[in-house]
Amino acid sequence: MKLDVVHDLQSVYRHLVNSTARPGVISNLKEQAVHVDILPECFKSLVLLALTLLDQEASFKVYSEREDVITRQINQFTYAKKADGKQADYIFVLSDAPKGSLEKAIEQAKIGTPQNPHESATVIVEVGEMANEKGLDMKGPGIKNMEQINVLSLENWVEIRQKKNEQFPLGVELIFVDAKDQLLSLPRTTQITVSR
Amino acid sequence: MNKAYNFAFFDEGSKREIRRATLKAIAIPGYQVPFASREMPIGRGWGTGGLQLTLSLIGKNDVLKVIDQGSDESVNAVSIKKLVSDTTGVVATEHTCDATLIQSRHRIPEVPLTKEQILVLQVPIPEPLRFFEPSEHETKKLHAEKEYSGAWLMLFEQIMNYGTMTTDADHPVMVQDRYVMAPSPIPRFDNTKMDHCKALILLGAGREKKVYAVPPYTKVVSLAFDDYPFKGESFENKHCRLCGADDVFLDELIDEEIGESYYLCNDTSYCLEMINEKKLAGVK
Repeated sequence: MKLDVVHDLQSVYRHLVNSTARPGVISNLKEQAVHVDILPECFKSLVLLALTLLDQEASFKVYSEREDVITRQINQFTYAKKADGKQADYIFVLSDAPKGSLEKAIEQAKIGTPQNPHESATVIVEVGEMANEKGLDMKGPGIKNMEQINVLSLENWVEIRQKKNEQFPLGVELIFVDAKDQLLSLPRTTQITVSR
Repeated sequence: MNKAYNFAFFDEGSKREIRRATLKAIAIPGYQVPFASREMPIGRGWGTGGLQLTLSLIGKNDVLKVIDQGSDESVNAVSIKKLVSDTTGVVATEHTCDATLIQSRHRIPEVPLTKEQILVLQVPIPEPLRFFEPSEHETKKLHAEKEYSGAWLMLFEQIMNYGTMTTDADHPVMVQDRYVMAPSPIPRFDNTKMDHCKALILLGAGREKKVYAVPPYTKVVSLAFDDYPFKGESFENKHCRLCGADDVFLDELIDEEIGESYYLCNDTSYCLEMINEKKLAGVK
């Protein structure tokens, strides 16, 4: 693997920090993604996130047609443990997952407890495309006035996410990645409404 | 650069653990996320929390600034800068506007932060409720229930006893109407700089093993009462003896020869920049 696990993953982390601190800012991981030559079934940006976040101390769950193969490979590359959708720290919803998987993933994901809201899941989703254009309006910490994004996904995730995160500080984080190596992060604090 | 160590001193596993905690901290503004807090080559309580955050964030292209109580050149700042530079090879700067990563002990720089910067604050006691509740188990419960009567009562008692709130530094703040947070012992003067700050602010407490965050454009309100509003330190009719600045946080010093007090900018790099600017402009 040509990927530099020190410097490339540091860059990925900084992009992730920037996108999480400023929801609506779409980061581009192209420079690091060209070095990825493992897990060809997944988007390269998703592989980068898995390598940045996972190790033997974290657990994960994959939603995909080829769940077993990909789970085994992620485990081999990161040593992270597989877990079911209710327990996993990181949940990957791949583009080939059957329809309804994202909804199911968000619904099942752990949201932490009032005393430990950080013990909650982060859902990482492969989507068709995303851009800063009319579609969804976002407000909340990290956003100056309002940000607009459009995420091409066949699933009805906006409402499900809202319901899941209604008892702040409990909730889940959502990270979208696309085939163009882009990354968008939506922490639980971001309020989303459909643009009119 | 010292190649006997991994880049940025830590092994990658340690960085990953801090990174996972930091991301959750950004997602829950003001909430203290526990983390493992590795052993560092400096003593706990000397900025290990901030240092661990800095090391988990820093990359080859970063420009680092470290300040200790406003000074770029005090022992703590210099030691931390040396350790980071030695294990990463990154350039250190004294100019706030050139830095991408600023680690600070007890001050927010006078130069307004930008959206390209991350401010890392070193925190000795991250728990704002610790003053009246020694049990961590209990304070976690109080945060969970948003039960902050104790914090208000502490301020109320100060007003009853002294006629004013006597918090010197570390005046508690409410973050995004949810969590009461210790802003690290920055002077009250700096509390307002946290509100809707353009930069991401990360706070790390190494000894207490906590990280927390204030994302950009987040509401940060200092606790106060309607009839006793929050006030920063006042430097009315006072100015820096060297650069003349009168809208910054000043240190009071005594001129022993004449026995009178005088004032200097606490932020030394800001003071130096102001003096140089004036020299360039031809003012004596």
